[in-house]
Amino acid sequence: MKILITGGSGSGKSAFAEDTVLSLGEGKRIYLATMYPYDQESYKRIDRHRAMRSGKGFETRECYLDAGSLDLPENAIVLLECMSNLAANEMFMPEGAGDQTAEKITEDIQKLSQKVRHLVIVTNEIFSEAAIYEGDTRAYQQTLGTINRNLAAMCDACYEVVYGIPIPLKGGAA
Amino acid sequence: MEMIIGGAFQGKKDFAKAAYPLLHWCDGREASEEEILKAGGILDFQEYIRRCLADGQDVSLLAEKLIEANPDVVLTCDEVGYGVVPMDAFERQYREAVGRVCTKLAAHSAKVTRVICGIGTVIKHV
Repeated sequence: MKILITGGSGSGKSAFAEDTVLSLGEGKRIYLATMYPYDQESYKRIDRHRAMRSGKGFETRECYLDAGSLDLPENAIVLLECMSNLAANEMFMPEGAGDQTAEKITEDIQKLSQKVRHLVIVTNEIFSEAAIYEGDTRAYQQTLGTINRNLAAMCDACYEVVYGIPIPLKGGAA
Repeated sequence: MEMIIGGAFQGKKDFAKAAYPLLHWCDGREASEEEILKAGGILDFQEYIRRCLADGQDVSLLAEKLIEANPDVVLTCDEVGYGVVPMDAFERQYREAVGRVCTKLAAHSAKVTRVICGIGTVIKHV
């Protein structure tokens, strides 16, 4: 089962994603953390997420680039969070995929999903606001938008979480 | 509790007032904490959260406080979490706070309606 979960900032998408993983039954639960910590605010964010996950049986592994090359057990139930960070890493880190990010990540996720039992991906809605961006930010929005569409097409189910309420966009129950 | 949410300028206020014509509404732009905690309806709740934060207040227990003091309130609130992460730290704090507070309120609410183009879609009703 491949499930894509999207939503805005502070929407409760992580909590829903964790519950979704728990509902997928037994297996080796692995959390792929994609946010590269670069300041105090990121460490606080990481701590908050760690506290939320504690007691749910996740092993945390860092995944800043190359999600397709990870070595994972076949019975793994993987929660990858968050695609918005992975996309930024691939786009802007010197060793990343740069302007090939959308294609690279789409392929990587395809590979990753074939290695594991279930894959749940959290992504982010950053597309609805009045501000118009230029340059890197605009390219980033376009890249993440493309990735989200590609992932939704390959996933069995897709949800948007609005203030903790899951709205099914594709597929049935998780 | 009931929430009417959606982007800016989507007709949330008109929708709310049409649904509850007799309710007394206060405005998040100017209402005091006392008014917020006893109002029948609150418009632009996000503005109240913004004022609290600008004032240096901690809003991490605001949802609990409102649920406790005013469990039957009807409120409208903008969804503000759908853009690129803001460069400004206060703007980041604001948009995340609106999300966190509203997620708790939505868990408590019997009904949540999302208004887009003036059209309300009920996304939760228990």
